[in-house]
Amino acid sequence: MDDRLDLPQGTLDLLILKALSLGAQHGWAISERIHDVSRATLQIPQGSLYPALHRLERRGWIRAEWGASDNNRRAKYYELTRTGKKQLQAETAAWDKLTTAVDLVLRMV
Amino acid sequence: MFSDVRYRLRAIFNRDAMDQELEEELSAHIERETEKYVRMGLSRAEAERRARVAFGGKERIKDDARDARGTTVWDSFLQDARYALRGLRSKPGFTAAVLIALGLGVGANTAMFGIVDRLLFRPPAYLADEERIHRIFVHYVWNAESRLEASHSYLRFQQLTAVPSLDLTAAFDERRVEVGQGVDAREFPIAGVSATLFDFFDVRPALGRFFTADEDRTPVGAAVVVLGYDFWQTEYGGARDVIGTTIYAGSLPHTIVGVAPPGFTGFSERERPALYIPITTVAYNISKDYYQNHGWTWLSMYARRRSGSTIAAANADLTTAYQRSWNAEREASGSSASWPTARVANAYASVAPVQSARGPDAGTDARVATWVMGVVVIVLLVACANVANLLLARAASRRRETALRLALGVSTRRLLQQLLTESLVLAALGGALGLALATWGGRVLRALFLPEAGSVPVASDGRTLVFLGVTTLGVALLTGLAPAFAALRDDVAGSLKAGQREGTYRRSHARTALLLFQGALSVVLLVGAGLFVRSLNNVRNMRLGYDVDPVVVVQGRIRAELNGAQVDALGARLLNAALTTPGVQSATLTASIPFGGNEGRGFPFYPGADTARIRRGLRYMLQAGTPQYFATLGTRILRGRGITDADRGNTPPVVIVNQAMADRLWPGEDPLGKQLRVGEARNPYMTVVGVAENMRGSQIENASENWYYIPWEQYRAIFDGQPYGVLVRVNGRAEDFVDVLRRRLQAEMPGNSYVRAGALRAFVGPRQRAWEFGAKMFVAFGALALGLAAIGLYSVVAYAVAQRSHELGVRMALGASVRDVLRMVVGQGVSFAVAGIVIGGVIALWAGKWVQPLLFDQAARDPAVFAIVGLVLIIASVAATIGPAWRATRVDPTVALRSD
Repeated sequence: MDDRLDLPQGTLDLLILKALSLGAQHGWAISERIHDVSRATLQIPQGSLYPALHRLERRGWIRAEWGASDNNRRAKYYELTRTGKKQLQAETAAWDKLTTAVDLVLRMV
Repeated sequence: MFSDVRYRLRAIFNRDAMDQELEEELSAHIERETEKYVRMGLSRAEAERRARVAFGGKERIKDDARDARGTTVWDSFLQDARYALRGLRSKPGFTAAVLIALGLGVGANTAMFGIVDRLLFRPPAYLADEERIHRIFVHYVWNAESRLEASHSYLRFQQLTAVPSLDLTAAFDERRVEVGQGVDAREFPIAGVSATLFDFFDVRPALGRFFTADEDRTPVGAAVVVLGYDFWQTEYGGARDVIGTTIYAGSLPHTIVGVAPPGFTGFSERERPALYIPITTVAYNISKDYYQNHGWTWLSMYARRRSGSTIAAANADLTTAYQRSWNAEREASGSSASWPTARVANAYASVAPVQSARGPDAGTDARVATWVMGVVVIVLLVACANVANLLLARAASRRRETALRLALGVSTRRLLQQLLTESLVLAALGGALGLALATWGGRVLRALFLPEAGSVPVASDGRTLVFLGVTTLGVALLTGLAPAFAALRDDVAGSLKAGQREGTYRRSHARTALLLFQGALSVVLLVGAGLFVRSLNNVRNMRLGYDVDPVVVVQGRIRAELNGAQVDALGARLLNAALTTPGVQSATLTASIPFGGNEGRGFPFYPGADTARIRRGLRYMLQAGTPQYFATLGTRILRGRGITDADRGNTPPVVIVNQAMADRLWPGEDPLGKQLRVGEARNPYMTVVGVAENMRGSQIENASENWYYIPWEQYRAIFDGQPYGVLVRVNGRAEDFVDVLRRRLQAEMPGNSYVRAGALRAFVGPRQRAWEFGAKMFVAFGALALGLAAIGLYSVVAYAVAQRSHELGVRMALGASVRDVLRMVVGQGVSFAVAGIVIGGVIALWAGKWVQPLLFDQAARDPAVFAIVGLVLIIASVAATIGPAWRATRVDPTVALRSD
């Protein structure tokens, strides 16, 4: 259990945007991708993904469309919009800045 | 931002679909997760369990997802609305009381707004730059009397309108004219307009063109016509090939050049004009020298101020122009004796709003309509007070519930939201009911106030609907706030601990204030009702100086050139035709009709007369008739004689004066045998041979109009008077004879000439209309307000009795008699009524000075009216409280003390 982290407030949105930057995905796949890529370190209750997806959709950063999935089942696919892409860049930059700064402080003091 | 709004709207209107999608999406996720575990080798059941654990609580996720849609406020509103509807359904009596009160209040206001809006606020359709458009009036003092002139001569129009502060002017005239030829000819309202009229409006013809300045010029304009849209539709079926065809208006052919767009009426406030004709064309066909003198004042003037110039500048310019025009008129008239040189003074011109009800010559109808609007607002306030009171009573009975919810942690904001939602739901339902009532009541009101405006249903009129919506919202806030604040001020713990027994009954100051408010307003309205009913009675029972009901009026419209002998012959034929009609008692030729607005005038003169005294601020009306004149109208001869067969054109001239005129000319002397002269100095003196009773035929408020009567043949010989028509007295109802008389007399008319017939009542009735409205409206709305107030009192007292059953039980156990209890409960109601009477009475006394001018022979502070209203209110309060009081006496002390 020690190697698993609770997600800092507000970072879930960033992770979702990043996960979608490679192409349209449905909810379960997004969850799987974050899980795999973080090597299972990030502890996200899978359900909490969905309120976040709806919030991002309302803000116009992602859009949703129903489509057919791998074995011909209906699935709701999410993809980044143009403003979503810009938002991802901005948030990534902010995140880098923040982590660098925190890193610096932690090592210097 | 835009996508956000779109998303939220979809979330609101597609709520169910979105919920279903969410469910599908979440289930699919869990299914995939399960499959993943199955692939890893777990049993199906174990895989499903794991998937669910990993996913988290599905219902909570759904709630969170819904929150993320940003529609929580709306959702909770819907929830509150549903809750409110359930609550209302469970209390049908309460709901009905509230809805009826609101429906009547809102409905009456909406219907009345539709009227007042049209009378006062709404500009003519298509009018552009409304704030710069005015109607022009002139004012002068004539004969020591201030006069206001709304109608002008064409020459005056030309002289007044070339001033720097105005950049556009138009002349406008409305009259009824025969349109068509032969037997198909019918009278239609037509508008004579200057070509500039159309420039006031942001308007293009529906077909063809409007006429040009070239077609509207002195002395005579082109015979062209623009059809009104409605006329085009009804008479031509909207055919597009009417342009270039001919239509007869009057006896002349006109060429149709265009069709006005739908709804266009120019500046007309009456009937929609069927035809628009150049005003110079209309005028020339009536009087060939119309543009050369001021003899004929007939048109109304409209003007647009140059942008940037003020109203004061326009008034100053117009006044200068008017005085110049006036001086020119005096010079042109030379030494004519009839010229009132020295008597015209302080002449000035002014601009006013185009709606005549807002102008200086607004009629009593418009003033009464404004008052009635005030009255219905009061009714709405009473209704609101009543509803607030009912809601307060309900809030009080729900105190435990409210306290419980507050204790359980419901936020006060949420609670307020719920209470306001509830009153919004009530107001919306009441508003819907009001709309239905307004649609029905609006027709009745419109028939009373705007009989000629045609019917426009309330539901399709945007302005009225907006008014309805705003009123409904206002009512919701007004009625919802009181109970909401009462609920919040409540002491949570106290209410819960007290249970039903103690502390639940206490007098609410808010409810007492609301009751007094209702009572006082009811008193004000009922006093108004009393005053107007008495005014109406006064005006109805007043003797006008002649009989109205059995008299038929036949007006002749002569459209042929007749010489004097032919006129006399025509008069004799018409009189004979009337007299030989079965059922006719008597008939007379007449020079004018009471309240027809066409009586002749002229100052009397006799040697040694104090002309200044005789003339100051007074009018003297001339009437002429054949020997049966007085018998036909039923006017009594008080002294001397009336007109006889012996009064011929060549016998010594005689005159009959009425009592008021005799008293004015020869106070304290015997008028019989006196001599007087009227009009030009060369006219002969006439000997007074009789005194008739006073009569009202010009201004109904004036009890001492001066009238004098001249035998018909002498009227023809001395004044070259033209016959106006025939008055016929019938056995029975005048209305039953109108048609037969019209046909009998029509047969005698030469050429294109024709007659119009109607009951004399139709001329007199409109003069009484203002008081009739006032009386009907105040009685209806006063009764409504009283009913609402009585319901309010009943609900408060009934509630108090129910809450005090414990206390009453104790009192009766201690020996209070039935009478004591009755007296206590009814006394409470009556004391409310008395307080309401005092407050309302003071308001009514204070408002008296504004109501006074609207009343007829009736003091605004009539003690009898106030006394009756007080009595009515006390009776109503006893009636409202006797039921609950009786229930109070039936309280069984043992039951009351044991309960709870």
